[in-house]
Amino acid sequence: MERTVIRIAGESGMGLLSSGHIISRALKDLGFYIASEREFPSLIKGGSSNVQIDFSTKDIRSRSNKIDIVVALDRAGLLYHIDMIKRGGILIHGYERHHLIPALKEKAKKKGIKVLYLPARQIARSLGGSSVMVNMVLLGLLWRVLGFDINNLKKEVKHQFASKPKLLKIDLKCVDAGYKGKDIKKIPQLEIKRNKKAPKKILIDGTTSIALGAIQAGMRAYYAYPMSPSSGILTYIAATSHETGVLVKQAEDEITAAQMMIGSMLVGCRAMIATSGGGYDLMTESVSLCGMNETPAVFIIGQRPGPATGLPTWTSQGDYNLAIHSAHGEFPRAVIGCSDPHSSYELIQHAFNIAEEYQIPVIVLSEKTVYDTHLTVDHFKHKKIPIKRGLVTGPKELEKLQSSDRYKITPSGISKRWLPGSSPAYYYANGDEHWESGELNEEANEAKIMIEKRMRKEKTLLKNLPAPKIYGTKKGAKISFIGWGSSKNTMLDVIRAYKTKGVEVNYLHFDYLWPLKADAAKRFFENNKNVHLIEGNYQGQFGQQIEVKTKKEFKGKLLKYDGRPFFFDEVMSYALKH
Amino acid sequence: MPKSKNEISKVLKTLSRRKNIYVEYEGEEVITWCHGCGNYNIQNALKRALTLEGFKYRDVLHAYDIGCNGNGSDKIGGYTVHGLHGRSISLGAGAALGNSGLKIIASGGDGGTMSEGINHLVHAVRSDYPMLFILHNNHNYGLTTGQASATTPKGFAMNGSPDGVVVKPMNPSEFVLGLNPTFVARSFSGDIKHMTKILRAALKHKGFAFVEMLQVCPTYNKATPQEWYRDRIKYIENLKKYDPVDPDAAKKIVQDFEKEIYLGIFYQKKNQAPFQKRLPNREGIKTSPHEEVKNFNISKFLKAFE
Repeated sequence: MERTVIRIAGESGMGLLSSGHIISRALKDLGFYIASEREFPSLIKGGSSNVQIDFSTKDIRSRSNKIDIVVALDRAGLLYHIDMIKRGGILIHGYERHHLIPALKEKAKKKGIKVLYLPARQIARSLGGSSVMVNMVLLGLLWRVLGFDINNLKKEVKHQFASKPKLLKIDLKCVDAGYKGKDIKKIPQLEIKRNKKAPKKILIDGTTSIALGAIQAGMRAYYAYPMSPSSGILTYIAATSHETGVLVKQAEDEITAAQMMIGSMLVGCRAMIATSGGGYDLMTESVSLCGMNETPAVFIIGQRPGPATGLPTWTSQGDYNLAIHSAHGEFPRAVIGCSDPHSSYELIQHAFNIAEEYQIPVIVLSEKTVYDTHLTVDHFKHKKIPIKRGLVTGPKELEKLQSSDRYKITPSGISKRWLPGSSPAYYYANGDEHWESGELNEEANEAKIMIEKRMRKEKTLLKNLPAPKIYGTKKGAKISFIGWGSSKNTMLDVIRAYKTKGVEVNYLHFDYLWPLKADAAKRFFENNKNVHLIEGNYQGQFGQQIEVKTKKEFKGKLLKYDGRPFFFDEVMSYALKH
Repeated sequence: MPKSKNEISKVLKTLSRRKNIYVEYEGEEVITWCHGCGNYNIQNALKRALTLEGFKYRDVLHAYDIGCNGNGSDKIGGYTVHGLHGRSISLGAGAALGNSGLKIIASGGDGGTMSEGINHLVHAVRSDYPMLFILHNNHNYGLTTGQASATTPKGFAMNGSPDGVVVKPMNPSEFVLGLNPTFVARSFSGDIKHMTKILRAALKHKGFAFVEMLQVCPTYNKATPQEWYRDRIKYIENLKKYDPVDPDAAKKIVQDFEKEIYLGIFYQKKNQAPFQKRLPNREGIKTSPHEEVKNFNISKFLKAFE
């Protein structure tokens, strides 16, 4: 598959994010599909960060770790990233004292890397700019190397800095100067195939998508305590709150955020929280409360590697076990895993519906890489997923309710729910074990019946959940994978790449992680001889559940727990070896 | 507390007239509090105050903490939620913001409020959420059989502290007065009329109303029984010059918990904009968030990503 990979590297605070946006948008305008993500350490200024942009004329979903062009904005970017450039690739930089680093020359020579140097800092200053505008000069040169029209780039520079007209003028001059590349003897130019027409798509990340999904689903209150990588959701919901009217409250801690969300949900206001594993740890007693008094709740865990503070700005699928096992006692729950912008947008809407219809806590797992990866995707649809609240709202029916309807023992386990104050029949939303009106009850027989009623909801939910989806051939693949979350993105690219080579690879993807549709996995094992697990944690947590529930064994497990997502190339070579 | 006969008979007449409202607050479950527990009177005063202020049972959501008072969550007629230890304030605050038409009454003991969930108290006062919070301060953990709490007087031997509590107690109303509150009052479980009066004022308050109920615990708290309070209680209402708008005066009078224990409204700041009104993004919105749950068209936001 044809893909071009650019990485812009430098310190945090050097305009990496804006560079990434500009290049991505300009490439999108030219009709390319994009998968871009930033990597950064947990600090505000300094450290080595980068934005990587993979682009192609065909849909791509994942990143490669073989880079065609590195644009290094600083010395650290130069030294660290030269090793990641492909044989024959290009290194663009503006570090004046590069000749003092002999290793650079050696490495470049060894791998046939073309090094393009522009005194970008001097150029930016001579044009009246600051040293931050090094990025604009080098982006101009990058655009020249890519062989595209400078006006495409300038359009997006204008878009990015529209609010700063004075600086914009200088920015544009810097871009032009970089494009000219004065004094560079020979500027290599790539020949990149282009689509005739730009597909009508949006370029969006998972953070924005999940926030938009929640807003679309009628979430009217958002409670938060900042924690990477979920803080972006707070930022976006707050930034749009004047247009949406969503009530946003940053609470004093995670426990409060969870409790306020539950309080709002109890009285009928759709609300949610988003945190990461550590913040969710603090919320687990609240999850348990919802299990007992059957209050709907939506918790988002943006995964990053733990334990403890771990790798705060990197990615993980390590909180599967946390999501399915967290909180004391036994109660039904749903766990859902987002994988890309579309699934983030849609699954959060389903999460609200499931929470309210089944009156259970729903835990939505996202990942740093899902939050941060910008993908070129179809427009989100309005009202595609109807709001289902599972509420008694008809005035006549409300009048007829009995208090004991609230926790009535039913075959499905689901009892009627109505909002406090809406009916003459009041109930006690009791965190103690209780009987049908919510009145405290510690009798052995009643306790047993009530626990069984609640647990039946999980069976009912399992029956009603959509089946996991198979990507690629249904049966008889040369190699097969089962996974969840962001793994889907890499698998989609790998399946396509092998298909062009005439090799069938398939992948069974789970959106709904608990309760687990194990039958679908069992059939997948039966229809495919060489089934492997792909999962972003050390233990293969989800894989363990699959093996227990299907009584089948994976032929192999592709596991990753270094804070990075699955790169396209590494899954390609794993598939080749197995 | 001195009160003219006229005033009392007026209250009783109103109660009698509104008996239909009052009796709805009567729960059906068997009460499990000890004989002589302060909870009986506090609950009765609350029922009276609600009735007198015109709140019907469907207008109210009670959020309970864990403990003896929490066990009363199904002993009152009305919608209740029995949450987690120390969290009733946050749970209630979420409900208050979610449905601005409901009157939220959260309650908790001295354990949940002054230890487990003291951060919630601090920030609820700071946020001035529109709700009433009743602190049941009986100076011990009753339901776990009488351990010392943050308000147990120093030196008293308790379950788990047989040598006596070695740290000094907190004074909840004094603590809250230090947080720039909008309503702080104290009453006593032995005086149902005073509690009713205080709760009525608290129910009328638009922001976060903090009411500390000094509560007897005849089973586990032998140190501060009814008589102990009787000897010490004084009423702010009897002070000719006291005006509950002066935070410094309030901080002064609230301090003494050994000789003269004052009851009454220490401090109130009226005409504060309620929390929701302070949110610029909800200016002009007349509905309550719980009425706004429907598909929101996000198409316009997608333009930025085209």
